[in-house]
Amino acid sequence: MDRKVAIVGQAQTKHSEDTGMPRERMLFELVKGLFGQFGMTRHDIDTFVLCSNDFETGRTISNVFEDTPVGAYMKDETKVEADGAWAVMYAATRILSGIYDTALVVANSLGGSEFRPYLIMDYQLNPTYDRQLALINEPSAAAFQARSYMDKYGMTDAYLDMIAARLLRNAARNPNALRAKADATPEYVAGSEYLYEPLRKLHCYPFTDGACVLLLASGEKAKDLTDSPIWIKGLGDSIESYYLGERELFRSPSARLAAERAYKMAGISDPKGQIDVAEVSAKFTHQEPIICEALGLFPEGSGGEVAEKGLSEIDGDMPVCPSGGALGAYPFSAAGAIRVAECFRQLTGSAGEAQVANAGTAVAHGQDGFCAQHNAVIVLTVEEG
Amino acid sequence: MAAQERIVASVVVPFDYTYNYRVGPYLERYIQELGVKKIMAVKCEGCGNVVVPPRKICGECKRVMDEWVEVGPAGTVENYTVGHVTLNKGLAEPADPPVMLALIKLDGATSLLAGEVRRTEPAELKNGLRVKAIFADPAENNLSDLDHFEPAG
Repeated sequence: MDRKVAIVGQAQTKHSEDTGMPRERMLFELVKGLFGQFGMTRHDIDTFVLCSNDFETGRTISNVFEDTPVGAYMKDETKVEADGAWAVMYAATRILSGIYDTALVVANSLGGSEFRPYLIMDYQLNPTYDRQLALINEPSAAAFQARSYMDKYGMTDAYLDMIAARLLRNAARNPNALRAKADATPEYVAGSEYLYEPLRKLHCYPFTDGACVLLLASGEKAKDLTDSPIWIKGLGDSIESYYLGERELFRSPSARLAAERAYKMAGISDPKGQIDVAEVSAKFTHQEPIICEALGLFPEGSGGEVAEKGLSEIDGDMPVCPSGGALGAYPFSAAGAIRVAECFRQLTGSAGEAQVANAGTAVAHGQDGFCAQHNAVIVLTVEEG
Repeated sequence: MAAQERIVASVVVPFDYTYNYRVGPYLERYIQELGVKKIMAVKCEGCGNVVVPPRKICGECKRVMDEWVEVGPAGTVENYTVGHVTLNKGLAEPADPPVMLALIKLDGATSLLAGEVRRTEPAELKNGLRVKAIFADPAENNLSDLDHFEPAG
């Protein structure tokens, strides 16, 4: 592509169960803080891409009351209803169109205090069949997916516990995480109660209030704004069948296609060799190996071995979710944007205690739908290339 | 916050509404057949997939599926979970006794159908378990006419 697009800044809330303030105030404070970092005003933003969920906010067009606090009123403004990873993709493609030089992504959810994320997912179900029967809900569907992977590859519950414990330990190095435990062990995870077997509470994402803001800019503009822009080099997304009974839940063909598209654009031919750190949206622990395998980071069915050998640890061969990922915090619409923001922190060397050494290329992933039906993949690099 | 002590932390806003969805001819026939204790699927003449609940277009090869075939009422558990909670409007509440859910391959079908399994113990719920459909009697002409599954034989 002739034009280039980079991320120049990010800001996140301290994610929590209850932000204790109205959504509008949360967004105002966050955006004001980011503008302050760059000495900008709202007039320096060419296009705003908001991301929130109508059903969660209880308003048709959820962004109506978000435009004012983030400064988007009377500006070029649009909204993404899916996960924040798509908001980043949308903002990036708007800049690549040549029409805009700066874009602000603002993604948020009050899934901790205002509304129940599992109910949002209930309303993604086919209303004439699955919602009538109420057999499938988000955690029960995830349990089927976990069972499918574990049966296919002979993975035991103990490995699920190891993955979750690693993520909770990583989350303790992330100042914005809601749920974290520096000394989390597999036994600690195994001590939490079952929701739907084999998934225990600590295998599942916590209900979270939070928001994430990302500032994107075209190539020259990005270099004006910062000495360390992080380049968006590849974007891909794909969606697969809705019908759980017709899907091979132990793998994710749509995440694989999304990754192939993003890698092709970014010139990644050997993901294991070329990618230094990954931030994936695994809402439930077993999804981490499924998604990582679809992204070509580990061989198919290797989830147990990866956990046992610590290959995805911060100092491992292929660090995955040094931020703690979705187990540390999952503000519904913002989650995928947070994965991108965490990659930005890694690539700018500002990830603090979670820093992966010499990270030059990162991959971020976002999902939506039942059992990650819809997947987005974004490749980011330090080198402009 | 002493000077700005909260008076009202939040307000509760209910949202009650009704949608009337058309189910379409495929699901309509499926429901009608459940009323006479038959589970009907559609077969794809291209790839041979037999899909239940029935729908018009084959996900595999995109052909229109219009050959109706009866499947079940017995089948095999291919995936399962024991629910220690049930969701009430998105809120997890303890389930006592636990709820047994399965993805079942009905005899003659290629897709899996979600169902609740009763009259067995969670420890007995495994892949390969043979189960049979139990129908509501009298029929109510809705999807719940396929009420649940029980171990077969």
